[in-house]
Amino acid sequence: MKSKESGSAAVEVHDLDPQEFLEQVHSFEFWFEAVEGYLSGLTFGFRPDTVDITLPDLDRDRLITVLCNYCVGETAALEGASGLIAIAPNRMAKIFLSTQVVDEGRHLEVLLHRLRMLGVADPEAEMERRANRSLQLFKRRLLELVSSKDWEAAIFAQNVILEALEFTVFQNHARDADPITREVLLGIVKDERRHIGFGENELGRRLKTAPHIRARLGQVKKELDHLVLDTLEETMKELNVDAGEREKLGRSYLEAAARLGLQP
Amino acid sequence: MADFLSAYSIQNWLESCPQGYLEGTEFGHQPGESEPELLAQNKILHEEALRTTVQLVVGERCALAASSGLINAAPDEASKRFLATQTLDEARHVEIFTQRLYDLGVARRDLESVIKQYANHNLVKFAGVLLEKVDKKDFVAGVVGQNIVLEGMAFTVFEMMHALNEQMNPKFAHVLSGTIADERRHVGFGENRIGSLIKEFPGKRPEIERMQKEMSYYMLATFADAFRNNPAAAEFDKLQQPQAHAKWQGVDLAEMPPEQMESVLADTVLKEFKVRLGRIGIEYQTPARP
Repeated sequence: MKSKESGSAAVEVHDLDPQEFLEQVHSFEFWFEAVEGYLSGLTFGFRPDTVDITLPDLDRDRLITVLCNYCVGETAALEGASGLIAIAPNRMAKIFLSTQVVDEGRHLEVLLHRLRMLGVADPEAEMERRANRSLQLFKRRLLELVSSKDWEAAIFAQNVILEALEFTVFQNHARDADPITREVLLGIVKDERRHIGFGENELGRRLKTAPHIRARLGQVKKELDHLVLDTLEETMKELNVDAGEREKLGRSYLEAAARLGLQP
Repeated sequence: MADFLSAYSIQNWLESCPQGYLEGTEFGHQPGESEPELLAQNKILHEEALRTTVQLVVGERCALAASSGLINAAPDEASKRFLATQTLDEARHVEIFTQRLYDLGVARRDLESVIKQYANHNLVKFAGVLLEKVDKKDFVAGVVGQNIVLEGMAFTVFEMMHALNEQMNPKFAHVLSGTIADERRHVGFGENRIGSLIKEFPGKRPEIERMQKEMSYYMLATFADAFRNNPAAAEFDKLQQPQAHAKWQGVDLAEMPPEQMESVLADTVLKEFKVRLGRIGIEYQTPARP
């Protein structure tokens, strides 16, 4: 965990052999250098001098609903990633997932903090009250896959499907969000990119050597797609996104699975 | 509870740990530090360094499995988030102690076989008792086993090793000082959070007390294996290597035979267990002595 001032020569990770590359990019050291740049100086995910604007009541209420659902998604991600550590096939994957666990914990923390800033006294109770049913069903199914110790299916549901959903939604929401919510979401998106990269890399290598896994993942995708697309639709409606844009976002989510050769 | 748990937030963790005492370190030590030449040159001392480091990796792998496994069993969001930071702390410990094995010359392809060769079977049993509770999603027993017993043991062992290495091996001492700072936080969480849960579920006490007794026995057996018949002290004498004074718990470890060091370590850990368990309303159970 070198500070930026340490002056140590940076290693060009893409010049390394595949095993050493994985050792590097899945390490705590690599994680810290990655997050240090964009989390340094932030408190609960935003710069202390960012001005909080007062939202009209209806917009505020809609934002609370959306953030509550983000918290449900991040709780699923936290519980999923932590459960995956036990079934990860090697030490490097375990260490990467540990960095993901703390990322997901941080996301939950900054979103709960934002809810409190918006005047929600008991965010956990509010999450229960406003949670989208499809998202809750997705969470349940994800944790079942983790409990059943099905590494490929669970990592697919967690690091490809759920992370791609969050990435798509958060990135879109950040464009029109109030300044504090925007900073919080953009910080989360940077983490999600790393998580999706791990999922695609891990599954991509496995699919090359064991193509029969593809059929099982296709089945998982089929089962989860409608829950994800329902959640996406509901969230985008709350954010006043028009139908055309909603359809585009749905396609953008489906592209993540297509990159692994799993067709929509 | 909310106020106490806010001290264990990820925001606080980021500020105090990676952006605090770990800032500027490389695998837990200062850049450019290396293992002493003597460890590379002397076969007996090298093997003992490997054996010791393997136990640290085994213990930290157990802690990683336990803290990540407890997240799903945690009854509230704030505890889940604290355990997320602990999970990453434990993964970092696995990484830095594994790196020490590489620094001591273990080839990457041989890592698992070296761990298998040197892992102490009593330490493996110690881990097994804890992980059984975690597998059952028993949060209260799991946190007592993890954050009071395992972390309490690690905290004291690391402090003793730090004292022994501070002058002879500054690189390893620096690695240990970062882990000690982490363990202190973990033990603090265990004591604070579990006290209230024990009050809420008093029926869990007998089972937790049995677990503490069993884990303590395997811990003492691990210490016995590590100190009795340890050839390193005799090798230092043979080499007439000057040993730096290592003051810890009011004694000079450099002047002690290994059996006495074992006794000081065991007594210190057990005394700490007794105090900490008392604070959370658990009656300390004296383990059998191996």
